Amino acid sequence: MPGFTLPSATLLAQSVLSGIFVGALYALMGLGLSLSWGLLRVINLAHFAFAFLAAYVCLQLATHGVDPLLTLLGIVPAFFVLGALLHWLMTRFRMTTFNSLLLTFGLMGIVEAVIQTIWTADFRKLESAYANQKFRLGALFVPVPELITLVLAVSLALAIWAVLRFTDLGRALRAAAEDAPIAAAFGVDHKRNGLLLAGTCAALVAIAGVCIALTATLAPSQMYAWIGVVFAAVMLGGLGSAIGPLVAGMLIGVSEAVTMAVTAPSWAPIVSFTLLIVVLVFRPGKAA
Amino acid sequence: MSKATLAILVVAAAMALLPLAGLPAFYDALLYLMLHWIVLATSWNILSGTTGYFSFGHGAFFGAGLYTTSTLLARFEWPFLWTLPVAAAVAALLGTALGAVVFRVRSVRGELFALLTLAVTFVVGTIVGNTPIDGGQGVSLTSVPVPHLGPTQSSTFYLLALAAATLTLVVARAIFFSRFGAGLLAIHDDEDAAEVMGVPTYRYKLVALAISCALAGVAGGIHALFLSYVTVGEVFTITVPLTVVLMSVLGGTRHWAGPAVGAIAITGLLYSFTAADHAVAGKAAIGAILIAAILFMPAGILPRLQRAWRSVVRRGAKTSAGVAPSLAAAAPPPRASPATSAGDVVLRVSGLHKRFKGVRALAGVAVDVRRGEILGLLGPNGSGKSTFINVVSGHYTASAGEIVFEGRALAGTPAHRIAAGGIARTYQIPRPFAHMTVLDNVALAAMFGGGVATPRDARAAALQWLDFTGLAAKADALPDELNLHQRKFLELARALASRPRLVLLDEVLCGLTPSEIDDAVALIRRIRDQGSTIVFVEHVMRAVMALTDRVVVFNHGELLAEGNATEVMQRPEVMTAYLGKAHAPLPTAAPPSAPSEERAHA
Amino acid sequence: MNAMHFTRRAALAAALAVALPVAVAQTPSGQPIRIGSTLALTGPLAATAQIHKIVGDIYVEQLNKRGGLLGRPVEWIVKDDQSKPDLARTLYEQLITADKVDLLMGPYATGAILSAMGVAQRYDKVLVHHTFGIPSLAKYDMQFPAWSLGSEPATTMPNTLFDALAAGPKPPKTVAVVTSKFPSVQFMSAGAREVLKKRGLTEVLFLEWDFGNRDFGPIANRIKDAKPDFVWVGAIGLDGNLLLDAMKKIDYVPPQHFYMYPAPGPLVSLPEAKNALAATIFEEQPPFTSNPGAAEFVKVYRERATKAGLADPSVETQAAASYTAWQILEAAVTATKSLDDKAIAAWLKANRVDTIQGKLRFNGPSNYGDDLMRIKQVQNGHWVVVWPKEVTSGGAKLQAN
Repeated sequence: MPGFTLPSATLLAQSVLSGIFVGALYALMGLGLSLSWGLLRVINLAHFAFAFLAAYVCLQLATHGVDPLLTLLGIVPAFFVLGALLHWLMTRFRMTTFNSLLLTFGLMGIVEAVIQTIWTADFRKLESAYANQKFRLGALFVPVPELITLVLAVSLALAIWAVLRFTDLGRALRAAAEDAPIAAAFGVDHKRNGLLLAGTCAALVAIAGVCIALTATLAPSQMYAWIGVVFAAVMLGGLGSAIGPLVAGMLIGVSEAVTMAVTAPSWAPIVSFTLLIVVLVFRPGKAA
Repeated sequence: MSKATLAILVVAAAMALLPLAGLPAFYDALLYLMLHWIVLATSWNILSGTTGYFSFGHGAFFGAGLYTTSTLLARFEWPFLWTLPVAAAVAALLGTALGAVVFRVRSVRGELFALLTLAVTFVVGTIVGNTPIDGGQGVSLTSVPVPHLGPTQSSTFYLLALAAATLTLVVARAIFFSRFGAGLLAIHDDEDAAEVMGVPTYRYKLVALAISCALAGVAGGIHALFLSYVTVGEVFTITVPLTVVLMSVLGGTRHWAGPAVGAIAITGLLYSFTAADHAVAGKAAIGAILIAAILFMPAGILPRLQRAWRSVVRRGAKTSAGVAPSLAAAAPPPRASPATSAGDVVLRVSGLHKRFKGVRALAGVAVDVRRGEILGLLGPNGSGKSTFINVVSGHYTASAGEIVFEGRALAGTPAHRIAAGGIARTYQIPRPFAHMTVLDNVALAAMFGGGVATPRDARAAALQWLDFTGLAAKADALPDELNLHQRKFLELARALASRPRLVLLDEVLCGLTPSEIDDAVALIRRIRDQGSTIVFVEHVMRAVMALTDRVVVFNHGELLAEGNATEVMQRPEVMTAYLGKAHAPLPTAAPPSAPSEERAHA
Repeated sequence: MNAMHFTRRAALAAALAVALPVAVAQTPSGQPIRIGSTLALTGPLAATAQIHKIVGDIYVEQLNKRGGLLGRPVEWIVKDDQSKPDLARTLYEQLITADKVDLLMGPYATGAILSAMGVAQRYDKVLVHHTFGIPSLAKYDMQFPAWSLGSEPATTMPNTLFDALAAGPKPPKTVAVVTSKFPSVQFMSAGAREVLKKRGLTEVLFLEWDFGNRDFGPIANRIKDAKPDFVWVGAIGLDGNLLLDAMKKIDYVPPQHFYMYPAPGPLVSLPEAKNALAATIFEEQPPFTSNPGAAEFVKVYRERATKAGLADPSVETQAAASYTAWQILEAAVTATKSLDDKAIAAWLKANRVDTIQGKLRFNGPSNYGDDLMRIKQVQNGHWVVVWPKEVTSGGAKLQAN
């Protein structure tokens, strides 16, 4: 069994912060996935591919001198359209939930091949002005790219939550998710709403991709590496929830980070996932 | 032995001779990979395709088997073949332990179950990677002797995988066509209804999981030696579970051979694109093919092939006559009961409470039901009638109180035992098993509540019940092809198929037209005439008056009145309960008119 | 006077007699010799495997220009094992039994090489491989490593490193060992821990992380807290970068640091990787470039790699080991004038091969020879070899932060 070391308060706090940041990225990745799984009954693996595609596009534009955050102006609408298009295709062929898993997995393969053809399998890192900036919060360091990710994750989650809760569109989406025919009978245009939502989910994950480009190194096959933990965050946070993936992602990120701070880092997954299991078994329906 | 099983064995025997055919040895290795995935995908489907409990943890069980074998080989120098049953056992144990805890928790279904199993994969992987089982540097099995089952080493693995795949397919087929499989498929459609029909859902899920894990464990054990160098990073990832899901969905999850078809398709695909020149383009091509496949074959490859086959061998068109319940046939009487005679109390409920987080649905109800009577359960909306039925049938557990049926206490008994013990109920909003035919719906009840042993006998019995309720012409239809009236009668047929001595009917008449109501009333009478006791919740007063011997009236979870129908309905407190205080009759001599028929609430 | 004149003319004639046939490029003829291998052209290992593809293509092309092998043209049949060892195993079996290739070349990465080794062993084929990380697992008699790790790298490599550090400006006293649990890295880090203890250094921190770990923040923090003089990072692939990123975020620069198997390009271009140390068998600088074939290879590789879009077109360990592997195979075939695997193996064990790494031998344990691992350092955005002194050029020296 690994030994435990008592960390200094700064170490612990910095680790918690680190966990929050990585959790925010899980959350941002998972937000679109959760919404589309819960409200559209589509398990969209292609989200991971879209994220990386957006990351690579951001990288490419940045090498031509565009500020990475400005690339969002072009990337967000482009991926919105892409997401809506994909959804249109799936509804046209009336995909069931698990069929969508298969279809989007196929799409992942295609996108990976495209990325590898254009950018090769090399590791690529975006060197931006943001990468070197950081704030100090007392003894703690807050790096700017991570902060941007956190701010985006929280604000987008809250915004989506507000839309779902308080607007007609949100109500319509939730109603259609529960019982589409009845909702339609009440005048809910699920087709249009579905396209809107799918487009939004793709746009959200594209934003996540830009954050990945800002904070991590890219390689085409990396997109598969996120599936496990983001799925976990999405399922733990409750499908169709906006705040759920955020809370769950943070929980996973922080529990792993704290584990790494006090004991052998290789035990980190055990802590976060055992926590998950325990929560699910003893307090199911935990969702935020 | 069925034809399909025979076919599997024959094909397997033929394939076993392949290594002797003198083909280049690599075909053995390639086919090994295909068979390996057939085992993994089919074993996954045994739990997840049938019950709908999608597991993302197949990697954990596969890995458990793999590392069991590698530990026994590397550390304890066991002979290879003996490690395989142990690998199966360890994997099954892991799965059973997990299921024993998780299946008890009612709300862990659907995606929560998927998450749990995924989490287990990472937990097991981390444990294996951080302990001497692997410790991080991997386990090398290069010096382990491979048994000589065939001319080349690869053929040994091929033959082992062939044996495993044959076993898996035979087991999968047997399950799908057995009583056990019928129960699993019912769990998929409506677990609570299945439990109430008599399916021991907890036990069945556990057994299915154990079998699934054992087979995955065997596949893992064989694969350990095939790889000859095992590392945690290759095994405990989402790759294995994701791949088996994809293979099963592609092939078709509702057929026992679907996953095998998917496994062959995907392995073949992955393998076809290994030439270096097109490696990257190959990846895109595979993706495109998968997309095309699922767009044009949404139920999977195998169902599509079956449909094509059937349209070649088309039978005569089914008659779809309008169903007028022809109540001609006689039906088998209910099963023999402990010696009681008409008039004995068959069900005694005392002090029954049911609370839902602060809502008191039942607040101390005491009712006696006598053998052979038709007891009406009346009361305004929300008075606890349906809850009463739910508690007695085991759908809910009582918060307090006693339920004694034929001398045996029922409180705390799981619903499936109650169903097998002689109580059946219908649902107010029919809950048929959506993916099973009408005949199979009734057959299920016959098998589990009614104790019929084989699916074939159960179908024969079911046909009789369908005759009795006039649905025989619709035997092969799916429930959503029936109208409401037919679906209600399906509920009845299902309830009767378990040969109950006490039938609980929950607003069976609501939504029916007057002539349909007449038919239903006649049917109910015939049911009682055969020897069943009936308790029925109803708002249709006409039927209540016509059918019941006695009525009890509920209000706010308590018993308000009891006695003969006509007499009870005239009592002031009953009318107040139904119509409100303002409508309380003034004391006059003239008998008030019967309360108007209420529309039942949905 | 006459004698000299005669000798000179004779010498000239003799020289011409030799030079002429060699100067005219011999076109190889006859049945092609087929050499088969797999590479991880897709999947997580693709980033490095693409280097081996380029090198293989270059070598076979040059080989055919020089007259092929035994006068026959050479054809390289390479398949994509998708970074999966079980697929590598199957494909090697296909190459041998169905495609019936004459000779084998190794795949990329330790897992696939082990699979290939098993297959080669069953069919008694020689397997020359490029970068195999765990010599103790190489138990097959006819496998030959192109990567001169030596047979005990877990001891020799750390010793070389600590020698270099001891001779440097700030010999460390305290060491932090942080490592990935990836098999080929983990045992090296374990060896490093032994070595530093034996040399009287103090280990102030030991951490292991799972391969695939994404969050290096806490690890960076713990290193910073431990205040080591020197950090040994058992990194493979991106780990080193991610750790450096994380350290930068908390404003921590280790006084001296070493990375086991970093992805070469990305590390050298990181500003915070200043003075990072790593191990290598070859770099694009003298004296390495004066080894046979080295200068030419470096030039061609740079062209091809740039054309293929690789971020870092310079030759270092992976490309060099790859080229060496081909050199070994060619030398053995040419010397034994045959494609007989047993003869090739016997010759290799008894002889030395001239390669871009120098003269290699294969008569040590597990057919490993000398340990030719050198220490290099990132200086001003370039890799510079700093130890041992004999292989440094231009007065390069180990620097400390």
